[in-house]
Amino acid sequence: MLVVRAINENDLDALYSMATQVGTGMTTLKPDMKMLGDRLATACASFAETIPPEERDYMFVMEDVSNGRIAGVCAIKGAVGLTEPFYNYRIGTLVHSSRELNVFTKMDTLYLSNDLTGSSELCSLFLHPDYRQGHNGKLLSKSRFLFIAQFPHLFTQKIIAEMRGYQADDGSSPFYEGLGRHFFKMDFHHVDDLTALGKKSFIAELMPRQPLYIDYLPQEAQEVVGQVHKSTAPARRLLEQEGMHYEGYVDIFDAGPVLQARVSELRAIRDSDLATVALNTDMTHACAPANPEPTLVSNTILKDFRMIVTQATPVNGAIDLSTTDQQLLRCHAGDTVRTLPLNVRKNNV
Amino acid sequence: MYVVRPVETGDIAALETLAAVTMPGVHTLPKTRDKIEQAVERSIASFAAQVDIPSEESYLFVLESLAERRIVGTAAIFASAGSNGTYFSFRNDVIQQVSRDLNICHNVHALTLCSELTAYSQLSSFYVDEALQHGPQAALLSRSRLLFAGQQPQRFGDRFFVPLAGVTDERGGSPFWDALGRKFFKMDFLDAERVIGGARNRTLIVELMPHYPVYVPLLPGDAQAAMGQIHPSGELAFNLLTAEGFEADEYIDIFDGGPILQAHKHALRTFTDARTLRVRTGDGQPVDGPLSNYAIANSAAPAFRAVTITCPDLEGCEAVALSPEVQDILRVVEGDSVTCVRI
Repeated sequence: MLVVRAINENDLDALYSMATQVGTGMTTLKPDMKMLGDRLATACASFAETIPPEERDYMFVMEDVSNGRIAGVCAIKGAVGLTEPFYNYRIGTLVHSSRELNVFTKMDTLYLSNDLTGSSELCSLFLHPDYRQGHNGKLLSKSRFLFIAQFPHLFTQKIIAEMRGYQADDGSSPFYEGLGRHFFKMDFHHVDDLTALGKKSFIAELMPRQPLYIDYLPQEAQEVVGQVHKSTAPARRLLEQEGMHYEGYVDIFDAGPVLQARVSELRAIRDSDLATVALNTDMTHACAPANPEPTLVSNTILKDFRMIVTQATPVNGAIDLSTTDQQLLRCHAGDTVRTLPLNVRKNNV
Repeated sequence: MYVVRPVETGDIAALETLAAVTMPGVHTLPKTRDKIEQAVERSIASFAAQVDIPSEESYLFVLESLAERRIVGTAAIFASAGSNGTYFSFRNDVIQQVSRDLNICHNVHALTLCSELTAYSQLSSFYVDEALQHGPQAALLSRSRLLFAGQQPQRFGDRFFVPLAGVTDERGGSPFWDALGRKFFKMDFLDAERVIGGARNRTLIVELMPHYPVYVPLLPGDAQAAMGQIHPSGELAFNLLTAEGFEADEYIDIFDGGPILQAHKHALRTFTDARTLRVRTGDGQPVDGPLSNYAIANSAAPAFRAVTITCPDLEGCEAVALSPEVQDILRVVEGDSVTCVRI
């Protein structure tokens, strides 16, 4: 039985062993006890609301309650770029045209930008390989949207997610080899580590500040602009189903896409509903739909936020949760829960 | 004897013949009869004009073999590059990148489209018959323009530059163009040069060329290698000009990446070393001691003439001995002033 819940002080060791599994390319989850300890402290303070909303970092873990293992992790940052600059390339268009020569050239151009400063960020999603099955990935990823839907006032209008960029089979990034290497003169993974450690000042110091024509990059680099890492493709699809989309912002190192959405446009905000946990009666069971759809259900308590995916479906503002489900959510009959169909309804797409 | 003189209308047919044989890589020589006529007319008008401020004048000189009555070379100078437009070039910039945290310091080479050469005087259209490439006549031809400029400073800028053709392959393709200009112009190098007529002052350059610095490390290797490299046909001009005091490296051509040599006139030997001496008639007797080649020019603007002579060192002399034949060619008589500079 899996539950996604707010992280707590006791999860540090599990978080560390999770981080050792991640590999390169995810800058926010490095196996470093000090970093993870700090992050955990921030997360706990966030759920306790003892720090201002823009400093918060809501981390969630997916726990397998049958054996106490941590199966996955994900997070939402209240705001990015407010203490250290947050860089992206924006892909803009420059048109070079001459009426006289009858030449019209449309050039994609990379602009170094801090445009996404202040956005809330979905980040640090990682699901342990042993648990990559069934609805687990969806539960983990989508749980964050349910959290945002429950507490929209904690977030800014814009929500973003940086997707890991394309890497070749040998782990190298064609985009980095075609661009960043000329300016940083070091390996992709080294640069990656430095950003993880928060030593980001070098980005401003070493990156070209002037816009760059994408056409100047080697073909291999051009091809991967806005392309995700193979293993990230499913995650991208999930986020896109939830209303996030690529608007031409990419990572400055690996050109992985940034997905973004206005919070008000998220499916979870539009389609999630509050429901009351129904009493455990025959009447309730009889009213349950015959062909239930998997549903994300969360409690409504910030400090101990918990989410599950269940086969119970809300009917007329009530949901018939099994005892186990109620235990997972730490709620009881009569409590309010938030529900959202796990899958996008076909006619809504 | 060879003489350098301003072009005349009688030279048009000869220039047309030359234009038919000049090598690829020289884009500044007019090719068609119409264009040649225009260039000649413009030059004649320029030599005749009263000039206070350099503007659209363009002076075309020819090297004539007096024995053969044949034109064997051309050289031109534009009073003001861009002629009321803007002359575009790429400036070689070095962007220093320093990160103290990481203890990294390195330089990134970038090309920036600039108009700094606008209003410089521009030397161009240098061509000399193959048989004369190694003699003093080539140097005379190249230098005559500067001798003239030295005599008539009001007609020219204080700074001079010379674009030299860049490297091209046997089919006339340019690796620098392919990596850069082609992406914006969407045409072959030679087609682009043809439509633009070798000019670097056209509005369409601003419209089409990159506005932002081009980071050199991002260019393919062959394009990088072509930057600042001359077409083999430009080697003679390059050697003459660098000996004169011109410097390469700061600017390159926006189309083929060829070097643009430039200098302030005070850095040029023709300006610093030229002496004005009186003419006396030589006795034709052989003299002892080491001999040098000198370029000698009269100072009669529209009837400018320059020749080379071989004579002893003129350092410290007040007069130069010229044979009656040379005096005739230069259209000077004893007592007139001439400008001399060692070649």
